[in-house]
Amino acid sequence: MRGAMAALCGIVLAAGAASAQQTLRIGAINPYSGPLALYGDEVARGYQLAVDEKNSRGGVLGRKVELVRGDAANPQQGIAAVDQLVTRDNVDVFIGTYISAVSNAASDAALRHNKLYWDTNAVAAELTERKLPNFIRVGPNASIFADTSVRAMVEMIAPGLNKQPKDLSVWIEHEDSIYGKSIADIQKKLLEGKGVKVLGQGAHNFRAADLTDVVLRTKRANPDVWLLTGYTPDGNLLLKTSREQGFKPPVILMVGTGDTPETLEALGPEFLEGVFVVSYPRPDISEQFGPGASAYLAAYRKAYNRDPIAPQSLTAYTGMRILLETIEAAGSTEVEKVRAAAAKMDKPLNSYPSGFGVKFDDKFQNTRAIFTVIQWQGGKQVTVFPPEARGSGGSLKNTPRKQ
Amino acid sequence: MDILNILVVGLLLGGIYGLVSIGLNLIFGVIRIVNFAHGELVMLGMYGAYLAYATLGLDPYIAVLLVVPALFVVGIIVHRLVLQPLHAESNMQIFATFGLLIILQNAVLAITRGEGFSVPSKVAGFTFGVGDIRVTVSRLVIFLALTATAIALHLFLKRTLIGKSIRAVTQDRQAARLMGINVERTFTITFGIGSALAGLAGVLLSPIYTLSPGIGGNFILAAFAVVVLGGLGSVAGAYFGGMIVGLVEAFAGFYIDPELKQAIWFLIFLVVLIVRPTGLFGQVGAEEVGFREQN
Repeated sequence: MRGAMAALCGIVLAAGAASAQQTLRIGAINPYSGPLALYGDEVARGYQLAVDEKNSRGGVLGRKVELVRGDAANPQQGIAAVDQLVTRDNVDVFIGTYISAVSNAASDAALRHNKLYWDTNAVAAELTERKLPNFIRVGPNASIFADTSVRAMVEMIAPGLNKQPKDLSVWIEHEDSIYGKSIADIQKKLLEGKGVKVLGQGAHNFRAADLTDVVLRTKRANPDVWLLTGYTPDGNLLLKTSREQGFKPPVILMVGTGDTPETLEALGPEFLEGVFVVSYPRPDISEQFGPGASAYLAAYRKAYNRDPIAPQSLTAYTGMRILLETIEAAGSTEVEKVRAAAAKMDKPLNSYPSGFGVKFDDKFQNTRAIFTVIQWQGGKQVTVFPPEARGSGGSLKNTPRKQ
Repeated sequence: MDILNILVVGLLLGGIYGLVSIGLNLIFGVIRIVNFAHGELVMLGMYGAYLAYATLGLDPYIAVLLVVPALFVVGIIVHRLVLQPLHAESNMQIFATFGLLIILQNAVLAITRGEGFSVPSKVAGFTFGVGDIRVTVSRLVIFLALTATAIALHLFLKRTLIGKSIRAVTQDRQAARLMGINVERTFTITFGIGSALAGLAGVLLSPIYTLSPGIGGNFILAAFAVVVLGGLGSVAGAYFGGMIVGLVEAFAGFYIDPELKQAIWFLIFLVVLIVRPTGLFGQVGAEEVGFREQN
């Protein structure tokens, strides 16, 4: 008996020492202060849930996983945060970042320390074009935004309006920075490739005090589909102004924003009824499409006592899960080994809670990362595209728009 | 028909710019302080409307009765605690208003975490129209409020003793002091009125926009253009300057390109500065007074 106790103590001591020495530290680079902090926090919540889940099952490679936050709202801070996390906190790998410009600078800095930069939430297409040897993006990029919006239009919206794609007309509106413009340019090319009539492509500043001119120009063009890419303030202002000016396009399709309570509060459920939004997969997707999505939602509610603020956290959670699996497969956190293990990964679509699969191309962009499309129905965001992602009984409402 | 609607859109937009500028113009014209924090005072007015809605359930058109006096008090406090101690160093006053801008933005950010609030109103979104001309209550109210404010401010400056002291200080603060006017108190009151006007603008704008801590910056550039275009310290200048900027923006945005509209009104702004540096309604020489005599 005494011997058994001694042995047990020995094990406990050894385990304690091991975890103190060998904790696997992951530096999470995001804005956690300043005007972008809300979503930075939300993304980190997704990471934390995946880490907690893994730790409750014994960690990774026998090591406890710890998330260390690095606050960065701009590229300079991104570089500083990486340097600090490497030298002060001895992190093993980096994960991030929902601001593309920060991801760009921080991953560069991580390369100088020869650390992996695993990106889950940045969308700028250029990030993987750099072919940095330490950069892997597991989440979807801007061209997948454009591609999903066009597929939804051709495969779901045109039939919903009883039209062939060649009879469909679209106005492409976007905010005028590189983010909006790069998506709009791809949309235009893809739509014209499908024979859809693009009536015009307009740009606006997302901080403009007034967007009536934009709305009136679009109204004059009279499109079937008003395709909007921007941020929350300009999106809300455009929708409000269209209501004031009596502009009633049969379909409004927004890209990137417009699926949060901020838009619901600004416009109200009656006006939003039937508006489509292309965004990150939401936890309401069907279990066949995103296995584990409902378990994720339950874990989120338990940990934070509310529903997710934005769907980005589900994509972040999934991205962290795939990272931890890849590290396990590599048996190491070294850049070359993780990369080799990532290159070998081959999971079909619908393997993870966000509906992702995993298959990296030669630039280490995950080709099986996806966006989904929701429709506002009765003040709720209901996933409607792709059709197999719909929960039971999901169908289109108020298409074409009546009010 | 398009052209009539654009005309109305431009005039109503001019109302927004005029209302944001009128307080800035008063402070600029009288105290000679370039108040960089003016947009943040507008922002405070917006969040004041949100606070009144969230805690008391008030419509912004009622909340205006609480928020405007509150902003008057904020203005008085800011002037007494921050600007008056620096009165001998006008450059430092400008830096101080810039500091104020950063403090106010970040304070609101820390409290709200940057979530985009909306202020609902029962009447603001109501729209009526004749043919293609569409008028929304929220924008019409702003236009009427600006017109009423401009007339009231004009009468206040012309008829009341405080108004006369403000005008006297504007023209020559040295002489005003010799005539027994309390220059410091006049400045404090002026700053309070300017802040209250910013608060008025904020409350009335709140039903239109999605609130964010940085939203003041969306208006401030246009407001400075209006002030310089219309003329320093001139009530009529803020009013008609606002209209001109609003009309130019509406017509240029619709007929040329929404992306170029700002470039076009800054072009006009530059031309006015070159041809008539005092602005359209400013007193000749008024733009120099501030540098000629700082006591």
